[in-house]
Amino acid sequence: MLEIRELTRRFGDNTAVDHVSFEVPAGQMTGFVGANGAGKTTTMRMVMGVLGINEGEVLWQGSPITRLDRRTFGYMPEERGLYPKQPILDQLVYVAQLKGMGRVEARAQVQELLERFGLGGRTKDHLEKLSLGNQQRVQIIASVLPKPVALILDEPFSGLDPIAVDSMVDLLREYTRDGIPVLFSSHQLDLVERLCDRLVVLANGRRVAAGTVTELRDAGVPRFRLVLGGDAGWVRDQSGLDVLDLDGTTALVEVRDDGAEQQLIAEATRRGSVHEFVRVRPALSEIYREATA
Amino acid sequence: MSTADKTTTKSNGSSEAPWLLVTRREVVSRITDKSFLLGTVFMVVLIAGFIGFTAWQEERTDKVTLGATPDSVAMATVIEESAPDVDDSVEVSVVELDDETAAEAALLDDEVDAWLHPVEGGWELTSESSEQDSLTDVVSTVVRQQVLTDNAAGVGSTVQELEAGSDVSTAFLRGDAERAAVAEVVGFVFVFLFYFAALVFGMQLASSVIEEKQSRIVEIIAAAIPLRHLLAGKVLGNTALAVIQLLVYLVVGLVGISFTSYKSYLPALSGPTAWFIGFFLAGFVALACLWAVAGSLASRTEDLQATSTPLTMLMLAMFFGGLSLDGRGQVIASFIPPVSAVVMPKRILAGGVEWWEPLVALGLLAAFAAVTVWVGEKLYRRALLQTGGRVTLRQAWSAAE
Repeated sequence: MLEIRELTRRFGDNTAVDHVSFEVPAGQMTGFVGANGAGKTTTMRMVMGVLGINEGEVLWQGSPITRLDRRTFGYMPEERGLYPKQPILDQLVYVAQLKGMGRVEARAQVQELLERFGLGGRTKDHLEKLSLGNQQRVQIIASVLPKPVALILDEPFSGLDPIAVDSMVDLLREYTRDGIPVLFSSHQLDLVERLCDRLVVLANGRRVAAGTVTELRDAGVPRFRLVLGGDAGWVRDQSGLDVLDLDGTTALVEVRDDGAEQQLIAEATRRGSVHEFVRVRPALSEIYREATA
Repeated sequence: MSTADKTTTKSNGSSEAPWLLVTRREVVSRITDKSFLLGTVFMVVLIAGFIGFTAWQEERTDKVTLGATPDSVAMATVIEESAPDVDDSVEVSVVELDDETAAEAALLDDEVDAWLHPVEGGWELTSESSEQDSLTDVVSTVVRQQVLTDNAAGVGSTVQELEAGSDVSTAFLRGDAERAAVAEVVGFVFVFLFYFAALVFGMQLASSVIEEKQSRIVEIIAAAIPLRHLLAGKVLGNTALAVIQLLVYLVVGLVGISFTSYKSYLPALSGPTAWFIGFFLAGFVALACLWAVAGSLASRTEDLQATSTPLTMLMLAMFFGGLSLDGRGQVIASFIPPVSAVVMPKRILAGGVEWWEPLVALGLLAAFAAVTVWVGEKLYRRALLQTGGRVTLRQAWSAAE
């Protein structure tokens, strides 16, 4: 498990990351969301040791993270790029060797990953000769070399076509299945909702929400939608509720006092037929908007 | 050490030192670069061509035809006979012409290169439009000799008697004139080679630093290895390339010289050349670290112009200082790094340097290199991961890591 504790980074007077804490549990995908400038990239760079930490610490498997630990992490920086004028096989082998792999072993693994991403026949091509999507694939391979023990990916899906997104998702799932913690940032909330086990929301350098997707959606005041056989106007007179929306036979309410929803359903059945009574959980995008507002 | 490393790598897959990997990548990616190879080949051809041309120029005999009208045939014949004694690269053959008109026609038709004829109070050598340098020298020397002899005989004396005691010969306390000239030329070549290599490889080093910074691959590298290793690998790689290229040029140059009449100077050149390589190495390492800093201060290739200005100025100062300094200034500069990297080898070439002087200068230069490596490493590490615009030296120095 990767733990981030009270991590803080200042640039002059500006506090980019302000006492941020969260966890990236083993075998889970943790989505890192927040507006531009919220501090996601700065946090990830501190985790990777690329940027100094002013306060706080990063723990890996319970103890402060070391350079050697980080060497075994997979990392994809935000504005990515490798060497444009070098054959892709050569530079991926170079990256793998920098991360401590032997040459022969590195070649074998790189070759295997290139095959997997459909680039097996282009090993001698210079990076700049590949299409943007293929360059992105090469970048992904660079970040998962050698078999990483954790993955820190800054916007791994940006610029990928749907097919590349799917193969990236498959790849990430493979790693979480092996018990590897994955932290990735993204602006694509639908994708985050689909993929993530957990979510960390950052706004202005502070953590404003964190938890599993269900936890986050269940948090906050419960809302219910009621659809009746007849007019729903009487709902306004019920105590302990706030009516958010009323439209003919349909009412959307927010429960202020515990148990008020039970009184509401009892009153509704007394008055006539009830077509629908359902808990409404906010979409991730709504939570995100509220948290970062 | 490297062979041991290789065997372990092959047998059990253990990793190599990071700086060595970086060095290898720098060298391999450069050496397989077409523009680098073409540039090197071009330089080699240039050097070989220059030496070849010089040698040919020297060996070649100038064959000239001298036209003579009846009044000058006697004198022209004397010139034809004594030309080899005056200048062994000039061979004169006499063409007899009937009169002035025939002479002018022959000149215009390029049948003769020049026409010698007596005028009032002396002789005139007429040519079509351009001066015949080597011929003029030969003709005036021989004519002067001949006239002097005649005049001396007229007053009952000899040339030897008249000229007695008028000889001025030159002597040098250190070395001799030709050696000084050779030293001057080779010294220029040393200064130029250093300037050229430091500028070309320095720029290359700086732009490869920017390439890594701009593409953020440096973040991947920084997460994997200490940045000190990255810097060391880049500096070593470029130094190795620069020294290899220098050796190629020097070998081509020295081998070329051995085919010319200057080959007698080769033994005298080998010592200074060895010193030059030593000074080149220390000077290059010192500057390479500064170039890396210049690269790390920039965020985009366009910034390099600005961040490298102090360095390009320094290179120019070294170039012109190396060429123009003499006397006491040269002696002082030969100890001051980094200028000493070019000035001391020049002094060694010129001769008259005490044995301890190059050692002290090299020691000072190495110490200077150690300082730039230390300072450079700090600045590089701090500036490299700062993004968004140019970083000033002050910002880099005071930046937290």
